[in-house]
Amino acid sequence: MARVIRSSATTLAIGYVLLGFTALVLFAAPLRYAWLATIDDFRVELLQEDSQRLAHVFDLRGPAALASFIDERVNMQIAGERMLLFVDPAGRPLAGNEPAWPRSIPTRAGSYTLPVTINGRQKTVAMVLTALPGGYRLLVGRDVDRFAPIEQRFWYGLAGAVAVLTVAGLIGALLIRRALLARIHGIQQTVAAIMRGDLSHRLEVRSSGDELDTLAQTINRLLEQIEQLVHGIANVSNSIAHDLRTPLAELRSRLEELALTRPPPEEAFAEVDAAVTDVDGVIRIFNALLRLAEIDAGLRRSNFVQTDVTELVAKAAEFYLPAAELKRHTLTFRDPGPVPARCDPVLLAQAINNLIDNSLKFVAAGGHIEIDVVPGEDSVAVVVADDGPGIPEADRPRAAQRFFRGDASRGTPGVGLGLSLVEAIAKLHGGSLVLTDNHPGLRAQMIIGRGAALAAAA
Amino acid sequence: MKILVVEDNERMARFVTKGLKEAGHTTDHAENGRDGLFLAVSERYDVIIMDRMLPGNIDGLAIIDALRKADNHTPILILSALGDVDERIKGLRAGGDDYLTKPFAFGELLARIDVLSRRRRQDATQTTLEVGDLRIDLLARKVWRGARAIQLQPREFKLLEYLVRHAGQVVTRTMLLENVWDYHFDPETNVVDVHISKLRQKIEVDTEPQLLRTVRNAGYMISAEPPSGAD
Repeated sequence: MARVIRSSATTLAIGYVLLGFTALVLFAAPLRYAWLATIDDFRVELLQEDSQRLAHVFDLRGPAALASFIDERVNMQIAGERMLLFVDPAGRPLAGNEPAWPRSIPTRAGSYTLPVTINGRQKTVAMVLTALPGGYRLLVGRDVDRFAPIEQRFWYGLAGAVAVLTVAGLIGALLIRRALLARIHGIQQTVAAIMRGDLSHRLEVRSSGDELDTLAQTINRLLEQIEQLVHGIANVSNSIAHDLRTPLAELRSRLEELALTRPPPEEAFAEVDAAVTDVDGVIRIFNALLRLAEIDAGLRRSNFVQTDVTELVAKAAEFYLPAAELKRHTLTFRDPGPVPARCDPVLLAQAINNLIDNSLKFVAAGGHIEIDVVPGEDSVAVVVADDGPGIPEADRPRAAQRFFRGDASRGTPGVGLGLSLVEAIAKLHGGSLVLTDNHPGLRAQMIIGRGAALAAAA
Repeated sequence: MKILVVEDNERMARFVTKGLKEAGHTTDHAENGRDGLFLAVSERYDVIIMDRMLPGNIDGLAIIDALRKADNHTPILILSALGDVDERIKGLRAGGDDYLTKPFAFGELLARIDVLSRRRRQDATQTTLEVGDLRIDLLARKVWRGARAIQLQPREFKLLEYLVRHAGQVVTRTMLLENVWDYHFDPETNVVDVHISKLRQKIEVDTEPQLLRTVRNAGYMISAEPPSGAD
């Protein structure tokens, strides 16, 4: 693993330098080409101008005058590096610094760049041949090698650029590699710690907000979710172990007593009936726990559909109305009109019913239960407020905990999972359960997202 | 009734078949999917009780699917330890007619089988239902007891309609929750009982003979005849 990372960082560094070279070559090649072309053109232009001036002398004053003019220039060294030759129609040299028409040079007019042997030395010469009236010919040339130093400087410059680029590239690459390896090392250490079982570790996120940070943030969110799920599973296992043990112990003792005492059939059957009721209680807890685990795991998000929350609440209110009337409660539901939301209608119905069920259980006869649907911009609150005993402020944070049963709930049916379920369902819907004092009584507010927030979370 | 029980757990199978025999039904038992499918296609049954997870990793749903494709429409009750709402939907989509989660009360199973076996005889075009002197007009949504018109809330009407459609059969609280309210969970309080007693107050006034009865450990039944010992 480590070797792969190291080699990939090295590859990145080498790639970085190579990329620099490629860029330089791509930059220098057209530059050099343009430079050479310009110089060539300029050189030929100069030579052509010279030839034209000489041809003008010929036109005005004839061959003899041109010959003496050329000789004069050659003697005065004005020609310098220039190659001058003026021949008659038979090809005999009349003037110039060349003893004869070099054999390798064509006789037709035009401009050429050719290697020529001058004074026994091989040189590249750019030249312009001009055909003059009467068969005379004129050759004006210039040693190209004279420009060699400039070209050399170009190459030196290029080499210098390559050197600078190599050094800068290597340093840059090494820095990139070091920074990359340092951060990957950090990730590795965190992951190793997580693999050892400590899920609380998180990747370091810098303030720079670069791609690695974005990745780290995404991974951190992933880790958070995993941690939550693992804790959820651990919680459920603990709850099952703890809270199924009690009713199972009761059941066991009941059956054992039955086996030991062998009571008359009538009594035995009553005990068996009671045992079946015990088992039903265990099954009820079991089902509630399973559903909680399922909700906590976020597995049910696939069942979200567009639903009218008001309709669900109205149905629940109607469902509980006869039971409320039986206890002489006043149950009121104010219809705010349709409140569409993306939710799991089965779960939401259960949560709403649990809240009303709760109030019905705890409020003494003749109480008031008020149910409201309060639509917000991107959330909706289902409020169930009663004037019952309420939950003491100290107990409120724990009220939604699994199997928590406040003093007021002693002697009432239920297993202490109702509010946990409501809270879990609210959370699944991107919301929460808020319990407040209703002066007197309990005001339970279940807030759920209407869909926009959930779309972002999914 | 002739009932096929496809169930691999020996104890569970014995519990179900014994209970069904006591209720006056005849039963066949298959302990794996292959035998179950064979019996289901070669014999005529009134109801099939199908476990989902069978030996050899066969899902009971595959058998149901095979039966339905073979144009066999025997009512099937799926009996499964998979109790999730999603699983339930999956089971009903596969062609099951009802879904009961293990563990279950035997009364619940019996009531559901009873309802399933008679479902086929239901006439969908019926516009009135009658039990004794109770008459329901499904189109006008009106109810009479003899000459007395009874005013019912929409949900009460639905509750009564469900009970009368299954007149003479035991209907459990869970069945009422599922079919009248479409609730797939058990409320912790006795809300259904309260609805029933409220309905009873409306349909049984003064000296009118009792129609709606509570069946101990099972549920409710609407019937014109006084309860007999068996059935």
